[in-house]
Amino acid sequence: MRPWSTPRAAYLHIPFCRTKCLYCDFNTYAGKDRLIGEYVAALISEIERRAGEAGKEPLQTVYFGGGTPSLLPLTAVRRLLIALARACDVAPDAEITLEVNPGTFGRHYLEGLRALGVSRLSLGVQSLDDETLRRLARTHDAAGAIAAVGLARDAGIRSINLDLIYGLPWQTVTDWREHLRRALETGPDHVSLYALMIEEGTPLSTLVARGRWSVPDDDAVADMYEAALPVLEGAGLLHYEVSNWARPGHASQHNLTYWRNEAYLGFGAGAHSYVGGRRFWNVKPIEGYIRRVARRADLVGGEELLAPDAQLGETAVLALRLRQEGIDFRRFAERFGVHPLGRWGPALEELAGSGLLTVGGERATLTDAGLLVSNEIGTRFLP
Amino acid sequence: MNPAAHIRNFCIIAHVDHGKSTLADRLLEMTGTVTGRDLHEQTLDQMDLEREKGITIKAKAVRMFYTAADGQTYQLNLIDTPGHVDFGYEVSRALAACEGALLVVDAAQGIEAQTLANTYQALEHNLAIIPVINKIDLPNAQPHVVIQEIERVIGLPAGDCILASAKTGVGTREILEAIVRQVPPPTGDPQAPARAMIFDSHYDPYKGVIAYVRLVDGSLRPNQRVLMMQTGVTADLLEMGVFRPGMSTIDQLHAGEVGYLATGLKSVADCRVGDTVTAAAGPAGEPLPGYGPAKPMVFAGFYPVENNDFPLLRDALDKLKLNDASLVYEPESSAALGFGFRCGFLGLLHMEIVQERLERDYDLNLLATVPSVEYEVFTTKGEILRVDNPADMPSPDRIQEIREPWMEISIVTPSSHIGAIMELVTSRRGEYKKMEYIDEGRVLLQYAVPLSEILVDFYDQLKSRTQGYASLDYSLEGVRPGDLVKLDVLVNNQPVDALSLITHRDKAFYQGRELVQKLRSLIPRQLFEVPIQAAIGSRVIARETVRAMRKDVLAKCYGGDISRKRKLLEKQKEGKSRMKRVGNVEIPQEAFLAVLKL
Repeated sequence: MRPWSTPRAAYLHIPFCRTKCLYCDFNTYAGKDRLIGEYVAALISEIERRAGEAGKEPLQTVYFGGGTPSLLPLTAVRRLLIALARACDVAPDAEITLEVNPGTFGRHYLEGLRALGVSRLSLGVQSLDDETLRRLARTHDAAGAIAAVGLARDAGIRSINLDLIYGLPWQTVTDWREHLRRALETGPDHVSLYALMIEEGTPLSTLVARGRWSVPDDDAVADMYEAALPVLEGAGLLHYEVSNWARPGHASQHNLTYWRNEAYLGFGAGAHSYVGGRRFWNVKPIEGYIRRVARRADLVGGEELLAPDAQLGETAVLALRLRQEGIDFRRFAERFGVHPLGRWGPALEELAGSGLLTVGGERATLTDAGLLVSNEIGTRFLP
Repeated sequence: MNPAAHIRNFCIIAHVDHGKSTLADRLLEMTGTVTGRDLHEQTLDQMDLEREKGITIKAKAVRMFYTAADGQTYQLNLIDTPGHVDFGYEVSRALAACEGALLVVDAAQGIEAQTLANTYQALEHNLAIIPVINKIDLPNAQPHVVIQEIERVIGLPAGDCILASAKTGVGTREILEAIVRQVPPPTGDPQAPARAMIFDSHYDPYKGVIAYVRLVDGSLRPNQRVLMMQTGVTADLLEMGVFRPGMSTIDQLHAGEVGYLATGLKSVADCRVGDTVTAAAGPAGEPLPGYGPAKPMVFAGFYPVENNDFPLLRDALDKLKLNDASLVYEPESSAALGFGFRCGFLGLLHMEIVQERLERDYDLNLLATVPSVEYEVFTTKGEILRVDNPADMPSPDRIQEIREPWMEISIVTPSSHIGAIMELVTSRRGEYKKMEYIDEGRVLLQYAVPLSEILVDFYDQLKSRTQGYASLDYSLEGVRPGDLVKLDVLVNNQPVDALSLITHRDKAFYQGRELVQKLRSLIPRQLFEVPIQAAIGSRVIARETVRAMRKDVLAKCYGGDISRKRKLLEKQKEGKSRMKRVGNVEIPQEAFLAVLKL
């Protein structure tokens, strides 16, 4: 079966946090930990209900995202993995990722995870500046973050990712480079860098709008991104996606599913699924989600059906995020029955002429110059 | 007795807002031409735009009957005149059809620049002038100061001034009596072959061109075949009549009278303003001294924002032209803007009105290029070129000399603002001519200024620097040589024709810098770095760079973000389709407007 029509990736959303960070606009909630038990039960029931959507192929990746999945007790993780294995089948060598926040777990917990088959931990380090961490209402400090990496290593987790944010309030390029260097000293297998986005409705956006906090302008943020590139390369990490770097063999298989625009199942409040050109997402509030599961009511909060042309364009936009893979001509031809050179010939030629794309016989990829304008390039591929 | 003895043809000269239309309404009311019930404010100003802007754009003529104190009934023809300086040409046409003029001056504001100019024109036409001090009911009215101004500046005796309030009706009867007593009856030979001067026209879809005429000699009847003496076109009169103020048919037009002729002609060009209408059978020997066609002074390109609206724009201009003989246009194309029309206008207000009509009445979205004057370019080969579009300016090495139109401008202002005006005019290359005190507090300033310097933003600046007190009039002085250069703008190394302008060498550096800075902020970031340069010939005098866009790509993109991402890109793509593409750079409309605000 083809990976774009049969899901081989599952996402489980864990919408709980100790505190809500100032910049966060995800579907997460602080102070609702008492609902964790009920929520896990609801998730299990949703997984059971939707077993039929998985198809015959076993899942290759499972991703516990949040929120703070490390707030789940080990038993809950275990029950969820068992439910998935029953409903969808999970490949024995599947990549199983769990997002964790430093300070929410100890060594015993990580060893427990490894024993359950969790092969990848994604650490929400965000910054190595204590003052910044405090300001953003993170619950850990720099030392705690560094210690967490050590714990994970000691627990024998195969792959460790660090999430880092740049473009933070008052941050300079020099600060950023320094913090990044310190983070890399811990020897991560994978790094995700996120430009701080001032999302509407977050406390951060209010602070910035009122002029209480100052954040670097767009150019400064882009400069930070560019400053990070050689540092990461120097640490032996391959820039394989716009915001992601990995040592060989450590690219996130689960996230590759998204960037290849292949099928995935999302379970839990607000989680998105994409199967056969239909993208849909569950209702967002935790209580509403639990209630609907209990009543066996429809969980879908919204959906969109993508016409073939829209699927094609979207797939190209996402594919360009992958620096080495890019738009793979054969994969596109096989999937859509359309050869990219036939469909986008003039655009590809123009973009290659401007030095923004490298167009070869097998694929088109972004050049370094094209990287920072990839959205604009992407618009050329939309219908 | 000569029937013309009971005819009085007159017009009203007034500054904008001094109450001309309201006074006209009172006259119509008191003569019973309209009843109070029918009268909605400003009867004569029919077009929406006129109402909105409070100005009269096209001259019109209304016939009234008035029984005077002497017991006799008189036929009074009021020929309305436009109140804006751009339409000075139409004023002079109206004046040529009259024997008298009411000079209406606001009792609180006093004489303004344009009133003066129009009054002098009326005096040149030997019109009897009746000064009316209007708005005497205002709390800040100073009728006696204004009367002194009129006496001192225009030389009309103080005793002749009528104090009136068009709002309350005070003085209306006195005005009507003065018209009967002081405006001479028309002279003309009722027995001679018919000669009628066309002073305005409009197009009616059923009756063809309606010519507004003043019959000087002879008489005309419906169904008569007439000849336009200058164009040689003949037409059968479908109908004739007068405005009361609606169209009302009559069966004969006599010497001295004012009325309209329905010609059935399909084009105003066949029935030109200034031409003389005579009978096709037994025509007059000589036409009346007419006037040449209105000469456009200001030129600009009009381009549809949506390229495929071009045919619509052409149709709309064709239709506007039916009623606006002074509008001229021809198709042109711009590398940046596509297909459009080069249009010539009497002045900036005229341009604004035409643009507004096109957009409002024809639902077009237009982009107007920088207004330009017509330059006389003497080439090294000895040719003389007339250039009204910077894009047509030859390269500097081919130019011997450039001449540009200069205007004589008059400004009436409170004397406290003289300094500010001096500064403004000097910054526009103006040349001081003279200053004259109208009364203790107000002066009349005269300057010569290149027309190109007052095209954009001059009037607004004048108003804002004098808190709205200054008034302006201008007329053509002639052409003078100038050290002029063409300033080109290159975006991504490609010249953008629609952004070029012609300017004085001394200002080019400053304007070039200003322009590229503005463009830098208006041209959105593109995929690549875009240099913006201002150049004279091959010499670059200013440069800015639009950096390539960057941060927008840095947002994370996982399963739950994909829809949002796609929608963002779709929006980005849609935004671009409204821009004009020059080479491979997308330029938004605002950028083309930036050159207007230099």
